[in-house]
Amino acid sequence: RPEHRRETARFWRENRAEAALRERCLVPAEEYERFAQALEQALAEHQRREDERILQMAAEIREAERRQRETVRAALQKYCSFFLNHTQLQPEPELCAEPSVCRPPAGPERDSTCAAEQPGPSRMQTGPDLAWMESGKVLTFIGHQETEGKGNVHTGAKPPWLTEEEEDGSKQQIGPSYEEFLKHSEQ
Amino acid sequence: MSFLLPKLTCKREVDQAIKSVAEKVLVLRFGRDNDAVCLQLDDILAKTAHDLSKMAVIYLVDVNDAPVYTQYFDISYIPSTVFFFNGQHMKVDYGSPDHTKFVGSFKTKQDFIDLIEVIYRGAMRGKLIVRSPIDPNNIPKYDLLYQGI
Repeated sequence: RPEHRRETARFWRENRAEAALRERCLVPAEEYERFAQALEQALAEHQRREDERILQMAAEIREAERRQRETVRAALQKYCSFFLNHTQLQPEPELCAEPSVCRPPAGPERDSTCAAEQPGPSRMQTGPDLAWMESGKVLTFIGHQETEGKGNVHTGAKPPWLTEEEEDGSKQQIGPSYEEFLKHSEQ
Repeated sequence: MSFLLPKLTCKREVDQAIKSVAEKVLVLRFGRDNDAVCLQLDDILAKTAHDLSKMAVIYLVDVNDAPVYTQYFDISYIPSTVFFFNGQHMKVDYGSPDHTKFVGSFKTKQDFIDLIEVIYRGAMRGKLIVRSPIDPNNIPKYDLLYQGI
């Protein structure tokens, strides 16, 4: 093609390369067409393969999550049933339903999901301790603290004792004031 | 037993306590006077306050009186106890997820005394976070709730 020839000629002139090589470097039109098509096909193929891979990864993640939920639920059920069978406390079905109140398993029935396996003797210790914590001493929940964007200690916000906030009605000026002088002189 | 321990009733008083208590651990119990676990904790605090008077100063704060602090320390369960030294918030690793405060009550007076001692020693050495000497089995367990995440 004409501009291809011109550009090659220019490049050769600018870089002063061998003139013989120039002829060999010219790309005929059909070759170029062929190349463009092959490129398109390869690109489409690659895209398809990537999409497939992403879908597969998503499916794997979903499967893993499902398995995790199952094991957690199974562990919770086992713990709750153990707890209800082996203690004198009144059965509280709400304890099982609300996972946030259930304590982590410390009894002899350990599932494979538990990270730390406690050896035999410590089982005796956790028995009475569990009773101390469980016997009616559920911590009072006073509500999730909404800070409306101000931040809290976990986010590194400014601590309240370093923030100067004037209460309503406090005087702006420090030092003696006229009213106080009058009051004092009246005494 | 909470009438034996001094109380702070507004943000300004809490600010004042934090900024003025020097060379001693400042213990702030956030809770309510009529709550069962708070009563248990207050009992331990009151009985040990005299023996720890050289190392610690203890105050009670009602969570409704100083909502700024309740929000700042993200206090969702009561009682929650926060420790300071020379105006610096002291963090303690109890083996629980939250190091900024102690949630719940102590099992024994000795646990609390040991904890104060460790905080005091660590703070005197310039540390801002120390490891709790209390047996992790004696630390009350609770769940951190993540809302809206």
